[in-house]
Amino acid sequence: MKTLTVLLMAGIAFAATPAETAIESAKVQIVKQPDFALNYNALATAYVMRAEETADSRYYAKAEESLERCFKLAPDLYEGKKTEVLIQLGRHQYTQALKSATKLNKRTPDDVAVYGYLVDADVALGNYKDAVTAAQWMLDLRPENIPGLSHAAMLRELHGNLAGALDLMLMAYGSMPLAATFDRASILTRIAHLHVVMGDVPKAEKSAKEALDVFPDYYAALAELARVRVVEKQYGEAAALLTKLCIAVPRGEYMYLRAEALELSGQIDEAKKAFAEFERKALAETALEDNSSHELVAYYVDHALEPGKALAIAQREVERRKDVFTLDSYAWALAANGQYDAANAQMKAMQIPTKDPRIAAHAAFIAEHLQPVKGQEAGSR
Amino acid sequence: MKLRTVLLRSALALAIAALAVQPKPTFAASHREAPITALDHKADITDWYAYVSPENGEKVILIMNVDPLLEPSNGPNYFPFDPNVLYEMKIDNTFDGIEDIVFQFRFQSHIAQPNVFTGFVGGLFNIPPITSLSGPGAAGLSEFQTYSVQMLGKGHNEDLGVGQTLIAVPTNVGPRTMPNYAALRQQGIYTLSNGIRVFAGTVADPFFIDLGAFFDSLNFRMQAGSGVLPQNIEMDDHNNYAPNSVAGFNVNTIVLEIPTQLLTQDGQMHPATDARAVIGTWATTSRRRRPVLGEETEAGGWAQIQRMGNPLINEGVIGTGFKDRFSMDAPVNDAQFANFFLNPLVPQILASVGLPVPPAPRTDLLPLVQYAAPICPGCTAAQAGPVADLLRLNTGIPPTPITQLKRLGFIAGDIAGFPNGRRPQDDVLDIALRALEGILVDPKKFGTPLGDGVNVSSSPLTQMFPFLGAAYDGRNSVHEGPGQAGCNTLVNQTCPTN
Repeated sequence: MKTLTVLLMAGIAFAATPAETAIESAKVQIVKQPDFALNYNALATAYVMRAEETADSRYYAKAEESLERCFKLAPDLYEGKKTEVLIQLGRHQYTQALKSATKLNKRTPDDVAVYGYLVDADVALGNYKDAVTAAQWMLDLRPENIPGLSHAAMLRELHGNLAGALDLMLMAYGSMPLAATFDRASILTRIAHLHVVMGDVPKAEKSAKEALDVFPDYYAALAELARVRVVEKQYGEAAALLTKLCIAVPRGEYMYLRAEALELSGQIDEAKKAFAEFERKALAETALEDNSSHELVAYYVDHALEPGKALAIAQREVERRKDVFTLDSYAWALAANGQYDAANAQMKAMQIPTKDPRIAAHAAFIAEHLQPVKGQEAGSR
Repeated sequence: MKLRTVLLRSALALAIAALAVQPKPTFAASHREAPITALDHKADITDWYAYVSPENGEKVILIMNVDPLLEPSNGPNYFPFDPNVLYEMKIDNTFDGIEDIVFQFRFQSHIAQPNVFTGFVGGLFNIPPITSLSGPGAAGLSEFQTYSVQMLGKGHNEDLGVGQTLIAVPTNVGPRTMPNYAALRQQGIYTLSNGIRVFAGTVADPFFIDLGAFFDSLNFRMQAGSGVLPQNIEMDDHNNYAPNSVAGFNVNTIVLEIPTQLLTQDGQMHPATDARAVIGTWATTSRRRRPVLGEETEAGGWAQIQRMGNPLINEGVIGTGFKDRFSMDAPVNDAQFANFFLNPLVPQILASVGLPVPPAPRTDLLPLVQYAAPICPGCTAAQAGPVADLLRLNTGIPPTPITQLKRLGFIAGDIAGFPNGRRPQDDVLDIALRALEGILVDPKKFGTPLGDGVNVSSSPLTQMFPFLGAAYDGRNSVHEGPGQAGCNTLVNQTCPTN
């Protein structure tokens, strides 16, 4: 019995993920039909999937390599062009992704997936109105389709309708095929996150754990569970989870979370070390599109007390994109430099009524520190 | 400095918990799924007709057929309209491609006898045959549907059926259950306010086409000329020379008869030469929209599932990757599909097999998608309006008497026929093929008599409202196929296989 259990566990541990299976399958097809362009696109798509599964951006390079071979055989292959947009989104090249997706949308306006790419790029760039239009087309073209539901949920959340977002995510989850383990875990993680933001910690924990059961060690689920622990004030456990996460997925955003958790748990020296590691990594990334600049600004304002550096980073980022998180980051840096009016203007430039607690806290603080207008000051007395 | 001390401790946990509100499109789970193929038969508009009534030249007939290829024997629930679908008929009378008048239809299902095993029963178990849509004689009508008709216009919103219970006519289940179906269906004709008449229910599908040959890459039957009709078939308005794939199938219909004055922009009748006589018409089906933002209520609005103006536009002209978007968009936005109208694929295919066709851009096809002569001889260039797939009808052109009606409609000199509106008798496949071939440019040069050899509807069309044939009988009806009966002038009345 014990042997059987061990064997079963080993089987689970070594079970191929959907992306790994897709990679192997595409490679076999390429051997069988080396001149068939779609096979190389299938491999490229599988690498993109693997990048999503692992958060390892090196898979995008592999995807590009395979896509190059695909385009040598069929330079204008539509499916290949779609994969190209996926890679651009994965690399956070949102302006380029929006341009490419718009072209594809004109070429095949019935393709629901392409509307999803438009939503992703528009959201990242802060074009929320366009994002909503594209997401509505997703839902109208194929009612109840999973990508449409999940993209609409993201937009509802951004617009402050958390319960509505949760409804759609639960609906999407209910439609997921069992074999789509990564996608199921991903949606469960989003559900967990919504529960956290809505203050339902037990449900958040349950969903995050389910995600980890479905797709073991899933990085986003680990991060979500860590957030649950922070809310529960179990900072040590949060830090432990984030330490495990950062070993597997050393992304700046997770390193920053870990440093904060360590500080909250009283491990001050470890926290200092972690912040320093984060700063080094984040600074090295600032010129890249896939960076940790939001966290770096927060670090300079809230921990390092270097508001000048924060403002320089935030300014560079806001030139790239105008989404609410980038505007918030910029506003926070301006406020840290005493420029409350300018900070307030950035807050007001946000086009959507997001209920993000951090943005709300920043906005409240900035509003408190605004210089009263003379007339209003007199009037208020 | 103050910023940090005030905020850090209170906001830190909050910040961590909230950080992930920021969406990470990179790792969204949703990029790769294939679109779900939602085949929505109930909302599928099979055909849209608009013509001046042959019973009364001062009235217009609008017919919207939905839910294709209904097998007459397919019980026990047969063919209800979908209560979740909003069926609409739309009229543009101001040349802008935007609806000015809308007729809305909503259906409601009722179950009178929940314990009966079938929706319709009669002449069995002491239940009398169904001879009435309500009251005595309707005991066996276990399932039935009522409906409403709403007319909307500028500042106008009227329930046309107020004070009446409008019942949709069920399908013809069979002679034991419905021994006098003709009389039963007659009860489903209602006179509404404003002199409007309505009929809704199941009928024999009036459409006619050799679908199998058409969609087998235009592989038309050899005995019917392989796509180029011999003289005898070309001139025959009464017989079929190839199997009508739609024969023997039912369809759900909504038929409306409306005084023309209710449809024109100034409430008057006009002669054919007056632009005001011309209206643009189309039909749509919609389902409740799930809004990305906002509440999922009535205010959330409707998502259009399909529309139809001219026949065969979506099937034969619009590209595969555009069909859904075309179905769901409004005609006023059709400029985005202008390339398909001005350089359609079918003429390119015809040219590839050696048939002469005019070069693109095919501005000769614009009268199908703009207000222009010959349908609107009174229209100025300014009244052409945007490129919009509307079925345009000149209400000033009187109806052709049934005996003189030509299946090829306008191009055969029967100017009351398609593409001046559309009647059930119009052979729209043959007309459309010839329009695409270029007959409007030069009938001699580009007038090869293209066609499928199916010239007439297999269901007996009537000369009186609601004009469509009674639903095929579920017990005894048959279809027409290759090698089967249906081609009356051929040997053994059998339709060709080759």
